[in-house]
Amino acid sequence: MLVAYAAGELDLETAGALEGHLAGCPACRSLAAEQAAVWQALDAWEAPAISPDFNRRLYRRIQNEVRLSWWERLTRAFRPMPLRQALPLTATAGLLLMAGLILHRPNPVAPARPRAETVRAEQVETTLDDLELLRQFAPAGSAEGGRPDAM
Amino acid sequence: MGVAAAALDYDAELMLRVRDGDGASFGLLLEKHRASVIHFVYRLVQEQPVAEELAQEVFLRVYRSRSSYEPTAKFTTWLFRIATHLALNWLRDEKHERGQERLDDGSPDLPARQVPDRRPSVEQDLVYRVKVDQIRQAIASLPEKQRAAVLMHKYEEMDYSQIAKVLGCSESAIKSLLFRAYTTLRARLAHMGNI
Repeated sequence: MLVAYAAGELDLETAGALEGHLAGCPACRSLAAEQAAVWQALDAWEAPAISPDFNRRLYRRIQNEVRLSWWERLTRAFRPMPLRQALPLTATAGLLLMAGLILHRPNPVAPARPRAETVRAEQVETTLDDLELLRQFAPAGSAEGGRPDAM
Repeated sequence: MGVAAAALDYDAELMLRVRDGDGASFGLLLEKHRASVIHFVYRLVQEQPVAEELAQEVFLRVYRSRSSYEPTAKFTTWLFRIATHLALNWLRDEKHERGQERLDDGSPDLPARQVPDRRPSVEQDLVYRVKVDQIRQAIASLPEKQRAAVLMHKYEEMDYSQIAKVLGCSESAIKSLLFRAYTTLRARLAHMGNI
C-alpha cells in the first residue's frame, strides 16, 4: 500500500486512513518517506531525445519489407530451403528411396517389353507348330475345316 | 477483453483500420506511442541506439501483424508485450555475450539535464550525472521482470492489471514483484532524497 501511496494511486479515503496510521507508527512513516524519496529520485532519469529520422528509417524498413515480401512470394518456389528444414526432409526422402529400392527390386529376368515380344513370338511360333501338328495329325479332308474339294 | 470492450480502445480501432489497408492510421499509432515505447525500451536496455533499433522492430512487428490483428487485448498491452519481449531477449543475449560489465560503464546516453531558467553549472551537471547513474545501476540490478514492472509502473503509469497482462502474471504476482523491486530500490536510492 505504501508503494501505491507514494505513487498517488490511493483514493482519498484509503489515503486518509493510511495517513492516520502513519501518524502513530514511526516505522511505517519512515518506510513511506523512503518510498516517496525513491519515487521522486526516479523522476530524475530522463530518456534521451529520439533521433529525428526514426520514422523515416522505420518507413524505409516497412517499404523494403513490402517490396521483399512481393519478391519473396515470387521466388519462394525457387528458393533453397534452410539447412535445418532441408536435412530431415532429405533424410526422409533418402530412407523412402532406399525402402522403395529394397521392396520393389526390378525383375532380374528380362525387361518387360522385350519379354512381351518374346512371349508373343513364342506364342505365334507355338500356334504355328500346333497348326502344323494339327495339319499333320488331322484326318484327311477335315484338317482345314473339312474342305470337300481337298479330298 | 471482448470486441465490445475493445471498441473503447481507440488504438485498437486504428489498428483495425491499418488491417484494412489504411497506412495513415499506422502513422497515428506510431506518433502516439513512439516515445513511450522507445523510452521504455531505453530504460530497460540502457543504450539509446539499441533502444531505437528495438523500437523499430516493435513497430515493424505491429505492421507485419496487421493482417491477422484481432483486438483481443488493449492495444498498448500488446505493444508493450512485444517491446518487453524484444528488450528482455536482447538483454539475455547481451548478458550472455558480454556479461554485466556494460552496466558499470559510463553513461554516454545520458540526456543533458533540462533546467528551465539557466544552464547547469559543471558541478550541478556532474552531481546530476552521478545520481542518474546510481538510478540506472539500481534499476539494472533488478531481476528482469521486476525491472520491466517498475518501468511500466513508474514511467508509463500503467496500472497493476495492465502490467500483469503485459508480463503474463497475475495481478497479485505483480504487486508482490513491485513490492520486492521497490524494497531493493529503497535500499539503494532512498538516501538521495530530493535530487
